[in-house]
Amino acid sequence: MESIIEVRNLTKVFNSRGRKITAVNDVSFDVSNGEIFSMIGPNGAGKSTAFAMMTTLIKPTSGSIKVAGFDAENEDDRIRPIIGIVPQKLSLYPDLTARENLELMGNLYDVPKKVMEERIEYYLKLVNLETHADRFTGGFSGGMKQRLSVISAVIHDPQIIFWDEPTTGLDPQTRQAIWKLGRKFNTEGKTLIFTTHYMDEADKLCDRVAVMNAGKLMALDTPENLKKASNSTSLEEVFIHLTGEEIRD
Amino acid sequence: MDLKKEIRKSWVIMIKEFRQIIRKKAFMIPMFMFPIVMIVFFGYGMGGTVKNADVLIVNDDTGIASSSLVQEIGSFIPKYGDDKMFSITYTKDMGQSEAERKIDSGLYKAILIIPQDYSERVARNESVTLTLLTDSSDTSSSSIIINFMKQLFSGTSSSLVTLKIPDIYGKLQYIDFLTPAVIALTVFMGTIQTMGYAIAGERQDGTLVRIMMTPVSRGAIILGKTLHQLVLQLARAVVLIIGAIVILGVTMNGSWLLVALVLIIFTLSAVGLGMAISAVSEDMTSFQAISMLIAFPSMFATGVFYPLSSVPDWMRWIAYMVPLSYANDAMRTIMIKGLGLSFIANDLIILALFAIFYFALGVYLFRREV
Repeated sequence: MESIIEVRNLTKVFNSRGRKITAVNDVSFDVSNGEIFSMIGPNGAGKSTAFAMMTTLIKPTSGSIKVAGFDAENEDDRIRPIIGIVPQKLSLYPDLTARENLELMGNLYDVPKKVMEERIEYYLKLVNLETHADRFTGGFSGGMKQRLSVISAVIHDPQIIFWDEPTTGLDPQTRQAIWKLGRKFNTEGKTLIFTTHYMDEADKLCDRVAVMNAGKLMALDTPENLKKASNSTSLEEVFIHLTGEEIRD
Repeated sequence: MDLKKEIRKSWVIMIKEFRQIIRKKAFMIPMFMFPIVMIVFFGYGMGGTVKNADVLIVNDDTGIASSSLVQEIGSFIPKYGDDKMFSITYTKDMGQSEAERKIDSGLYKAILIIPQDYSERVARNESVTLTLLTDSSDTSSSSIIINFMKQLFSGTSSSLVTLKIPDIYGKLQYIDFLTPAVIALTVFMGTIQTMGYAIAGERQDGTLVRIMMTPVSRGAIILGKTLHQLVLQLARAVVLIIGAIVILGVTMNGSWLLVALVLIIFTLSAVGLGMAISAVSEDMTSFQAISMLIAFPSMFATGVFYPLSSVPDWMRWIAYMVPLSYANDAMRTIMIKGLGLSFIANDLIILALFAIFYFALGVYLFRREV
């Protein structure tokens, strides 16, 4: 399958109070068009930094990223319209209604008004928020916010969706609903890239899983192959095997 | 209820509160700085006196009485001060309308016109009238000067000397002096505060990053937030001015368009300053702390509540470095004196320079830090 994302020798070094911290260290991988790709790793593994570089929010120290053939460093204006992002920190405007939040995103992505209105109605219904469309999101529950955050990331019909820990802190029902949405987007042909701490999610949902630790890519394969390679029965065992038992800060 | 346990738990809560507040250095600094700044600025600013106020004496009389009068005015030192109250300039042959123009231009706080036959009339014990023009747009200095002159003449041997004091800008009160500057202050503080919420606040709650992940340039974000401020602050100023005129009877002698022009340029500099502070602030708490450190001296040193003519030199130097001083001056010149563009040109040029500097700094820091 053709690659939609090509990451080559990606490195990111941050300067923190005179100290150099290598968050991502010489990482290379490809993501195929239409696949569900997951990045797992303990805290501080470099997943979110890699995400931020792939979504053009920060620039790499060295190496390169191509998204749909565009260079992430110099062609961010070509990449941003074709990607949708659900950030880890839910970023909705509490003083705007659900509809207004969606309209804001639609307008920033230049979605034509009529198309946007149709999509807003469709997506609100899809995530069971149609009766809350005109309520301020400040009063929404965590699950409602997450559902709204997900649909605000696809209002412009992106080719690739980036999800940073989309189910953290959610109840099992909402987690299931979120993944149902993810699968639905994937069957529509969208590529889904996400990070998670839930190994069962990565195991069940992903075509391929990248395991990161201390900024390095430790392994990348299908969940089944990863389990076979380390003689494990679950992805959690693979994770511990590759990243160790030490608790990270 | 076990009282001992309750007290112990209250103690634990109190210690926790102290630990938290002591660790918020950004909060602690202004908490102690605020009263000090208030005492220093109000103490020096509201001394109720005038120092070295520029006064022009138009003396067409060559007699002894006028010479001693002029000497007495020029050498007067207030009871609780070390400096002379007036800095006197002398001239001859100037009519009232020309003197009014000098007041308009802000060159003098007061002009005393002594008639040609003053000494002669005083010697003959005849009634004589002197004209005192004051810059009543600065109501505090004006009333101090008028009171001094009235006392001076009531103490002279001749009770036939009268003082004519024309109201060149109409009957003005302290509120007329205060209102234009309070509007400028409101715009300044309001802009900085709302820019804080718009940048530092949004950065803290993650919405700014979300916006920056969309195909929108930083320039468009800055422009959008700036336009919002301009419309908001102008609307606010219009409501405040109309409210002050209707409810408080405040004087509005000048052009609304000029007020708008001053406020647009001034708001741009406040937007730039607010953006710069927001960009270097990690969160809203540190934004509040930094903005308070800038806002308080601006509020108290720029002649909002008292005239700059009554403050010590060091305070005046602070005032010169803050755009609010020039906005105050321009707003008073328009609203109270009713004067035109040429009279506020200097203020506008300086405000524009501040706007360019602060805006460039704000954009630079926003692009680098956010």
